[in-house]
Amino acid sequence: MKYGICSRVFAYIKDKRHANVTVTALVVFVLAIIPLFMNVERSYWIYFLFLFFINIVIAQGWNFVAGYAGQISLGQNAFFGLGAYTTALIWIHDITKTGYYFDPVVMLLSGLVPAILAIIIGIPLLSRLRGDYFSFGTLGVGQILIVVFIKLRHITGGADGIHVPSEVYSSMAPYYYTGLLLALFATGLVYFLIRSKIGLALRAVREDEMSAASHGVFVLQYKVLAFAIGAFLAGMAGSLYGIYIFHINPDSVLNMNWLFYPILICVLGGTGTIIGPVIGALFFTALFSLGDQYFSIYHPIISGVLIILVMKFMPSGIIGLRDRFSRQK
Amino acid sequence: MHFIQALVNGILFGTTYGIAAIGLSLIFGTMRIIFLAQGTFIVFFAYVVYFLFTLLGIDPYIALVIVIPIALLLGWLMYYSIFKEAAALEDRNISLLLAVGLMYLVENIMLVAWTADPRSIVTPYTGLVFRPFEIVIPFTKLIALIIALVSTAGVYFFLKKTLIGTAVRAASEDMVSTTLMGINPNFVNAVAFAIGIGLAGISGVAFASIFPFDPGYGFTFAIKALIALALGGIGNVAGALLGGILLGVIESLASFYVGGGWADAISYGVFILVLSLRPQGITGKALKKA
Repeated sequence: MKYGICSRVFAYIKDKRHANVTVTALVVFVLAIIPLFMNVERSYWIYFLFLFFINIVIAQGWNFVAGYAGQISLGQNAFFGLGAYTTALIWIHDITKTGYYFDPVVMLLSGLVPAILAIIIGIPLLSRLRGDYFSFGTLGVGQILIVVFIKLRHITGGADGIHVPSEVYSSMAPYYYTGLLLALFATGLVYFLIRSKIGLALRAVREDEMSAASHGVFVLQYKVLAFAIGAFLAGMAGSLYGIYIFHINPDSVLNMNWLFYPILICVLGGTGTIIGPVIGALFFTALFSLGDQYFSIYHPIISGVLIILVMKFMPSGIIGLRDRFSRQK
Repeated sequence: MHFIQALVNGILFGTTYGIAAIGLSLIFGTMRIIFLAQGTFIVFFAYVVYFLFTLLGIDPYIALVIVIPIALLLGWLMYYSIFKEAAALEDRNISLLLAVGLMYLVENIMLVAWTADPRSIVTPYTGLVFRPFEIVIPFTKLIALIIALVSTAGVYFFLKKTLIGTAVRAASEDMVSTTLMGINPNFVNAVAFAIGIGLAGISGVAFASIFPFDPGYGFTFAIKALIALALGGIGNVAGALLGGILLGVIESLASFYVGGGWADAISYGVFILVLSLRPQGITGKALKKA
């Protein structure tokens, strides 16, 4: 029994059924030690990976709503922005009397507020609207929030937004690790939810609402739940992004990009899979942030061309590409 | 009097939303996507008109003769070069994202090539104003209204009276059966696209002659057209025009009585309300239960 634990670990790794767990643990381990070998404050890669983590979180949020519940939400920018604003407002008005900067309470609240909004608007929209009409309805939410935040100048600072104290910044490391944790949390949450009773119900709703309802699934309840979880993840990502940029305004956090990015990432990687959004986020972050660095003003043009090419030639995403190859064998 | 003036302003400008909405409606009918790049193409054609005017001295309204054929052809080519494969897929997101990619692409090309400075067309008749019963009616807005009415009538008769139009209507109702009747789905999709972009060209002319514009305005315009479409009821040409007029009136009254900044939020609010309470639109007939 000398090598008890070690040999059991090796046996576990050798077993092919556990390949996914092993690879995940390895990747997370590598990501966790990367900052030890780099100049965290200067390295572009740390920033790159930070964006990668945020992109995973927003993508998993959309993936859960669209890929598993089958509801195409076009309101993710509203939830992302609301998350960032919640953090900023709690911070400058000193509401929770906690630390604010990387405060888990604030971050959780920044996820909960968008989730509550999602429930409030989700009940009327999801009970009455199906398919495209639901998507149209959610599209308006972000636009209304922009106007409300600009107009309530005395609370939200209008178009200029809110500046949270940036003196607290000391290192990039907490951003990196919080991002990694959030990305793990988002991916893990989606992973466990779809394996639970909730996931089963959601897939039933996605495939055939009528049949799901006749089998005793409360369709509306599950759809609203999925919508709220998507909003919760978007809000948490918004909170982390908010304390990174320190200046929260409608232009930076309620921007349409936060609506299209998650969709693009999911479709790029493969919607309705766990690993798809992660792979998609990696490619997407590489595409957009490296493009931004090397092609400056021309990069949105190149990104536009790439979106079109990807959608045209590999519409089922990178995961779909793998399936296509394995089928050919 | 102010109320009537606000109402007239709304009606006059709403028609431009209306023609954009008809384009969206046609593309939505056969392709089942919101063509989000519609507004960007309106701005693109506004630039075309602008350059035809400033460089070649062609009057914006005469430019219609040049813009419409270019726009129709562009729509046709765009469908066959970009959307053809995606149209055959079950997953509508692919087509939607192609539209988003196109929007990104065209908007940023315009931004790089023509900068973000707002442009406007100033002709001898830009300042011309009629004052019947003390209501101010700018000449350019009146022409926009006439252009909108004529193009709506044109699309309406095309859909009702021609064989190709009938095919497009059939495809909007049931693509599978239409294909089984021997109609090429790519052909009807391409026709819908050509007319959709053609209408973007027409709205571009109307828009450029009234308001200053810049490349970033496209997305907002597409969303406005979508709201107009939802108000009027999807799949209904006259309804889309009425929806546009209604949106114009709501915006105009809201900015008059509540204040400019709130107009957008109010029109989105009305949009969500109409979607949840009357998804078939204000003019639409109640849908039969499937």
